[in-house]
Order: sequence, then structure tokens, then C-alpha cells
Amino acid sequence: MIAQETPVRPGLRNDVRGSEMTEIPVIELVQDMPGFPGLNRFALVQLDEHGLLCALRSLDDPQLRFLVVPPAAFFPGYEPVVDDDTVEALGIERVEDVLLLVVVNAGTSVQTATANLVAPVLVNTATRRAQQVILDDPSLSVAVPLAAA
Amino acid sequence: MLVLSRRVGESIAIGDDVVVTVLEVRGDVVRVGIAAPRSVAVHRAELLAELESSNKEAASPSDDAVRSLAEALSTREES
Repeated sequence: MIAQETPVRPGLRNDVRGSEMTEIPVIELVQDMPGFPGLNRFALVQLDEHGLLCALRSLDDPQLRFLVVPPAAFFPGYEPVVDDDTVEALGIERVEDVLLLVVVNAGTSVQTATANLVAPVLVNTATRRAQQVILDDPSLSVAVPLAAA
Repeated sequence: MLVLSRRVGESIAIGDDVVVTVLEVRGDVVRVGIAAPRSVAVHRAELLAELESSNKEAASPSDDAVRSLAEALSTREES
């Protein structure tokens, strides 16, 4: 059975459990996801009952989705600094409006699943604009194991 | 590839919206400034290549992989 997908109105917490849902909110990427040009419209869907595992599902290419998780549950010390250009591009006015997500590579099993901490996806829940922001931090890795977290 | 020579302070215009300026040259390091609209991503090439490859590997996992990850996370959450 395929995991139930619940569309999510991006929430303001560490998980993405949504509140009332009347329509599927469209998240608009202000820059292409590297490797996926021209696909800017996504929906955030919840894949598990705890709001830990979600997917960014392309509304333009039905085959495309990215697994994402809110990193706080796995990497508590992870606090990426958002630069002014990103703040402006996403129209961020309050820090509470920002939903931080990281892309997960499911790997072959939970032991090999990794998260990309060098390029988190920031979603402004107020404007529904989002961007995968590449952080300029050589200490961050593109594939950090989830299992260790 | 178009090859141009520039001195410090000189610029190169790319398309209608991008301007690259040589800011400083020190030894074998060239400091470059890029003015571009927000819609244009500007990154160190090798970093972008690594990110593209990572996104492509992560994209569209199988339903099985998703299901087992969701189960493992639920267990984790409940423990």
C-alpha cells in the first residue's frame, strides 16, 4: 500500500503537521532546484503520521518528488544562516514564517538514508515562496546519515 | 567558451542582466563580483555540480524506500 499523502498547509513548527486544509497550497521555487530546471511549482505533502517525513511533489512533473524532513528532529545543532538576498527573494518578514527543510536521499535502507545539510530548502509559509539555498560552509555535507542523528 | 582578458575593475556583461567584475587579483586568486537578478543562481561551479548530482540521486525515491523510511521514523518517534 502506498503511504497516504496528506497535503500540508506549511506550519510554523518543527514538524509539518498542517491545520485546516481547504486547497493544496502551491509552493513556488524562486530558483530552480539544481539539476531540475524549469520546475518551479511544488506541493508539500506529509508522508507519515508524525509530520517528520514529507515530500515536495512537483506539480509540473508528476514523477518528480523530493523527500524532505524538518532537520530539528535529527540535527538539533543545525542552524543555517540565511543571507539577505534569500530573505529578500522569499519576502521573509518574520523568522516564524520560515519553514526549514532538508532533502533526504532515502538510500537503500534507513541505515543508508542521508540528509543534505549544505543546501536546505527554505519555505516562507507566508508568501509560499521557497528556495534551495546553498550554504557557504565547508563544514557542512551534502550527505549526512540520518541514522546517526 | 568565449575568452576575454580583463584588468582589475573591468567588467563583462552576460545577457541582459548579468555583470561580472574583476575586483582584485592577488597571486593566483582572482576575486570576482557578480551582479545578477535573484532568479539567476550564481555558485562556485564545483559546488553546483555536487548539488545537482545530490538532488538527482535523492529525487523520486521508490515507494518501497519511502515506506520503509516512514516506518523507521515512526518507530524512532515512538521510542
